[in-house]
Amino acid sequence: MATILTRYGDGTMLTMSEKELMQDLEAGTQDAAERGNIPALSKEELAHLFDIFSLPYNFVSVEPGNEVVLTYDAGTLKIRRVGVNVDRIQALQIYEKIMGADTMELCHVDYSFKPIKPIVTMEQPILEQALLSTHVPLFYGAMPNLGTYTQPDGPFPNPSELMPMGDIEGARASYDATVEEAVKDIVYAARAMHASGADGINLDTVGAAGEADFKASLMAADILKKEFPEICIELGMAGEFILGMHGEMEWEGIRLAGMYPHEQVKLAEKAGVTIFGPVVNTNTSESSPWNLSRAITFMKACCDVATIPIHVNMGMGVGAVTVNDHPPVDVVSRASKAMVEICRLDGL
Amino acid sequence: MVDEQTIKEAIKAIVDHDEAKAIEITKKFIEAGNNSLEIMTEGFIPGIGEVGDQFGRGLLFLPGLVQSADVMKKVTALVNEALPEKQLEKPGVVVIGTVKGDIHDIGKGIVVALLRANGLVVHDIGRDVDTEKFIEEAVKVEADVIGTSTLLTTTMGHQKDLEKELKKAGLRDKFKTIVGGAPVTGRWAAKIGADAYAEDAQDSVVKIKELIG
Ligand code: B12
Repeated sequence: MATILTRYGDGTMLTMSEKELMQDLEAGTQDAAERGNIPALSKEELAHLFDIFSLPYNFVSVEPGNEVVLTYDAGTLKIRRVGVNVDRIQALQIYEKIMGADTMELCHVDYSFKPIKPIVTMEQPILEQALLSTHVPLFYGAMPNLGTYTQPDGPFPNPSELMPMGDIEGARASYDATVEEAVKDIVYAARAMHASGADGINLDTVGAAGEADFKASLMAADILKKEFPEICIELGMAGEFILGMHGEMEWEGIRLAGMYPHEQVKLAEKAGVTIFGPVVNTNTSESSPWNLSRAITFMKACCDVATIPIHVNMGMGVGAVTVNDHPPVDVVSRASKAMVEICRLDGL
Repeated sequence: MVDEQTIKEAIKAIVDHDEAKAIEITKKFIEAGNNSLEIMTEGFIPGIGEVGDQFGRGLLFLPGLVQSADVMKKVTALVNEALPEKQLEKPGVVVIGTVKGDIHDIGKGIVVALLRANGLVVHDIGRDVDTEKFIEEAVKVEADVIGTSTLLTTTMGHQKDLEKELKKAGLRDKFKTIVGGAPVTGRWAAKIGADAYAEDAQDSVVKIKELIG
C-alpha cells in the first residue's frame, strides 16, 4: 500500500498510510462541522482532497483557467522580517514584478491604526509615490488592534485585569469605550489614504482582541462606505471564531461573540465590506490533511453564503499552512489548490 | 455515590454559573452525610470542564467563564470545610508567563482563568518575562509547575533556555514544566525536555493536574 509523505501543522515531516490519510481527512471535517454547526465535506470532496495529498509532486497547482487572485497583506513589513533590507516601495515592486502579486498592501511597521493617526501625513506621500511606481491595486492597511486603547498602552482600564477581579461590568465598559476611539482612528486614517488615492483600505487581524475589534471594524466600514460609496474595503480576520471577551457586545442587534466565518461574512456584507478574508487556525499537533480538511469545511460554508468576494487567509499558521517562517511549498501549494478547487473562492 | 440527577444538576449549576443552586446542592449533599469530595469530583469538576470546552468552541465567553470560576471557588470552600483535615488537598501552585521577547498574552490569560477556576493557585508573571524571572518566582512561591507561553517561532527557544537554566541551577527536579502557545507541540516539549505540552486551556488543566499527581 502506498505511503503518503506529508507534515504536521508545525512543519515536521510525517508519513501516513492511505487509510490514515482518509481517517485524518474525515476527522478534520467532522471537527469543523461540529464546531461551526455546518455541513461536513461530502465523500467526493474528501476523495478530491485524498487525491491532492496523494500526488507525488512537491509542488502542485490548478488547471489553466482556474487561477485566482493572489493578494498579500503586510508585505512591506514581512519582507523586512525575513531580513531583506529594502524600503517599502521596493518591497511592493518586488511583490508585483517578481512574485506576481495581483494586489498589494502598503503598511507601516507599527501596524495599528492608532499609531498611524499622528503620522498619517507622512504616510500619504509614500502611498502616492507607491501608486505611481506600481500597477497592481494598492491597499493601505493596518490592524484595528483594540489592545492599544487599554492600559498600559492606552487610556482605558485593562479589561484583562478587571475581569479576574470580578468587575465584569467595568471590563465591558472599557471594551465599549475602546470601540468608539478605534472607530475614530480607523476612519481618520482611511479617509486620508482614500484621499491620496489608495485603491482600497485593509483592516487586518480583525477580532484579535475579541468582539470589540470586530465591532469597531464593522462600524468603521459602515461609516466609510456611506461616505464614499465607491471605496473598496477589505476585512481580514484574526482567528476562526470571534473570541468572546465581552460576551454581550452587539452590532445591529446581533451578538458578535462566538461567530464563525459563515456568520462573520454576513455582517461584513451588511457593513459594506468589499472583500472578506476569513481565517482558520492551524493546529500544530495535527496533520496537514486534518488541518486542510477542517479549514476547507469552514471556508466552504463561508463561500457558500457569501455574496462578496472571499480571499481566504493562507499563510503561516492559518488556512492549513504550517507554522513556519518559510512555509514549505508542498503544504502551501496543496492547501491553495484544494481551497480553490473545493471552495470556489475568489482569491488567496 | 452521587446519583445521576445530582451530577447533572451540579454540572448545570457550574455551566450556568448559578451560585445559589450550586451552594444548595453542596449543602444538601454534605448534610445527607456524604463525603463532600465526591460531589466535587463527579459534579463540579466535570462542570468546569464543560465550561472550558464550551469556551474553546466559542459557545461560552470570558465573563461566563469568570462567573463559573467564581461559583467554583464558593463551592470549593464549602467542600473543603466539610473535609476531615487529612483529606484536605493542598492546591497545586503554578507560575505562568509569556517568554522574553513575546507580548502575546491573550491565550495565556485564558489558561490562567481556567486554571484558577479549577482551584489551582496561579502566579501570573505577565509577558516578555526573562527566563531567570520564571525560576526566581517559582522558588519564591514554591511552585509545583512552571508554565511558559509563546506565540512566536522566534521566541520558542526561551522555553528550551528555561530547561537549561533549571538544570544549571540544580533545580530541574524541583519543578515540573509545561509549554504552550500556538506554534508549540508535544514534539517540541519532548525535544527540549519539558514535562508536558497542552493544546488549549482545558487541556492545560488536565495536563497540569496530571503533573501534580
Ligand atoms: C492577537 C495577536 C497579536 C496581538 C497580541 C495582543 C496580546 N495582548 O496578546 C498584537 C497585535 C499585539 C500582536 C503583535 C505581534 N504579532 Co501577533 N498575532 C496575534 C494573533 C492574531 C492571535 C493570537 C491569539 O491571541 N490567539 C488566540 C489565543 C486564545 O490562542 P493562543 O494564544 O494560541 O492560546 C491558546 C493555546 O495556545 C494555549 N496556550 C497559550 N499559552 C499557553 C501557556 C501554557 C503554559 C499552556 C499549557 C497553554 C497555553 O491555550 C490558549 C487557549 O486555548 C496571531 C495570529 C493567529 N491567528 O493566531 C498573530 C501572530 C501570533 N503574531 C505574529 C507576529 C509576527 C506578531 C508581531 C511580531 C507583529 C509585528 N509587529 O511584526 C508582534 C509581536 C510583538 C512581540 N514582541 O511579541 C505572528 C507570529 C509569526 C511567528 N514568526 O511566529 C502570528 C502567527 C501572525 C502571522 N501569521 O504572522 N499579535
